[in-house]
Amino acid sequence: MNAMLKSFRRDPLLAALWIALIVVAALWIAPFVFIVFTSLKTTSDVMATGAFTPPTEIAWENYGVAWNRGNFSTTVFNSALVAVIKVPLGLAIAALAAYALARMKSRFNRAVLLFIVFGTMIPFQVMLAPLFTLVNSLGLVNTYIGLILPYLAFGIPYQIFILHSFFRGVPKELSEAALIDGAGHFTTFRRVFLPITLPVLAALFILDFVATWNEFAMALVIMQDAGKWTLPLGLMSFQGQFSNDYGQLNAAIVTTVLPAVLVYLIFQRYFVSGLASGAVKG
Amino acid sequence: MSHVEIRDLRKTYGAIDVVHGIDVDIDQGEFVVLVGPSGCGKSTLLRMVAGLEEVSSGAISIGARVVNEVAPKDRDIAMVFQNYALYPQMTVAQNMSFALELAGQGKAEIAEKVSRAAEILGLGPLLERKPAALSGGQRQRVAMGRAIVRDPQVFLFDEPLSNLDAKLRVQMRAEIKALCSRLGTTTIYVTHDQVEAMTMADKIVVLNGGRIEQVGRPLDLYDNPRNVFVAGFLGSPAMNLWPVEAVPEGLRLPGGGILPLPADRRPPIGTKLTLGIRPELLAPDPNGPIRATVTLVEPTGSETIIAVDIGGEQGTVLLKDRLDMAAGHEIRLSPVLDRLHLFDTQSGEVLSTYVE
Repeated sequence: MNAMLKSFRRDPLLAALWIALIVVAALWIAPFVFIVFTSLKTTSDVMATGAFTPPTEIAWENYGVAWNRGNFSTTVFNSALVAVIKVPLGLAIAALAAYALARMKSRFNRAVLLFIVFGTMIPFQVMLAPLFTLVNSLGLVNTYIGLILPYLAFGIPYQIFILHSFFRGVPKELSEAALIDGAGHFTTFRRVFLPITLPVLAALFILDFVATWNEFAMALVIMQDAGKWTLPLGLMSFQGQFSNDYGQLNAAIVTTVLPAVLVYLIFQRYFVSGLASGAVKG
Repeated sequence: MSHVEIRDLRKTYGAIDVVHGIDVDIDQGEFVVLVGPSGCGKSTLLRMVAGLEEVSSGAISIGARVVNEVAPKDRDIAMVFQNYALYPQMTVAQNMSFALELAGQGKAEIAEKVSRAAEILGLGPLLERKPAALSGGQRQRVAMGRAIVRDPQVFLFDEPLSNLDAKLRVQMRAEIKALCSRLGTTTIYVTHDQVEAMTMADKIVVLNGGRIEQVGRPLDLYDNPRNVFVAGFLGSPAMNLWPVEAVPEGLRLPGGGILPLPADRRPPIGTKLTLGIRPELLAPDPNGPIRATVTLVEPTGSETIIAVDIGGEQGTVLLKDRLDMAAGHEIRLSPVLDRLHLFDTQSGEVLSTYVE
């Protein structure tokens, strides 16, 4: 603590940055505190106390009731199934495509990349109606595939974009050394590029998992049968049914957010910086 | 071990010619250095031999086989890159065994080859480390280990010492040279550093602008440069190149001094020429024909390098003795007459070299 104070005195800018950081963190964490506190309050407590007052008596039963009433066993399963298939599959396709665009010589690389990047620029809300028509004409409405395919289509372009620039940054001597060592493109990708890319892939995994887990509009349009609803849809109906029970509503929100937080905590340790250092002069 | 033949090799990128018809013969077991300034095409040439660049026209043969269309892995070559290009996530042992593993060799065989290479290079204790945990010199050695485990026909080195500090560079220079002669493997080595070229090569190929300027043994090139480019490129400090004019008694130097030449060596009167004198062949002499002003004195301990101004031209003198001299002193110099070079100022080609 003393050392910290000393370094602050030497560098006032550092102190200012720390204060700014703490303020921003507090602002970000405030809603979360509010949600967690409310999820543990009885209805009367919610009405009687302030938003940031800790619950006087812990109402654990909110979680149990919310789980059953929101039909969470079904929606959690649906969300998990979609995310578990979509996220790794999308990343695999994106990584292979990005490698090909970055490292396999072709006259059309730039054009294809531009075309793919163009895909990231279309807001998918604009595409929602035509997309529904398309999925419907394929007979995939109310199916997991019908939801996973559009998710892939909207998720992959930006992943390709990010991975492509990362692969481009890998020294070309590394692929050349692999080429001379006798590795084909697939071996080079799997044995040389993929291990270097782990931190980026972990980051993309987290972002994509959270985005897929929380996605609402597309799921609302394509999954019309309540048995196929994902978590955010379950949450929405929850709000309508029990609009005056804020304790249960917030318990449902916490339940929804928890898996995403867990995924984040598990994968963030792969953000090991400097994994690629030492490949070339460092 | 194989010989390498390069015949009328050309490389063009679109409309730009990078390599203009190069012919080189490299004998079995020979250590050949390709040297030249940046952009002279030496790395492109090496990469064409490796198969990393396509050949626009001409032929490259390794052994008796033309390899223009052969994939890099089937050329039986190994390459060491300037930035080492070690696989960062693999240990030293894995880096060295990668090629053997891909070639489908047995585990026992691979382990034996890797440990033998590690022994040769003193990498034994480092086998389980990752490249990030190695120093520059160690990484360089691993890159060489990766090359020698494959027991290739030809070693290719692309400026392998450029990323090392000066002291390590001298040490690795000797190590590479010793290793290659011990293994007896044909080696093509690219560098822009003429000291590396002089000290390591059996044969130097001097390249400039995508063309060969001269090929030969290091000291032959040093003593008998074919043109101004080779004369100025090889040697450190570089050869003094001064504009002179032929007069009845010999040559008029910058600053007006006359350098007398024997009657049979005098060029036609009035011709403008470039005179080349190595810095170590100039000596202070109270009656010398060259009048110079000292501009800088650089004592290195073993020798003294003196920068001089001769009638507006820069010059360098390399002395073994320690002379009491400072900037601003006027001195007179005399050259070793039988070791002068005269070049045509227009074409840069050598006219005569006075070497006994």
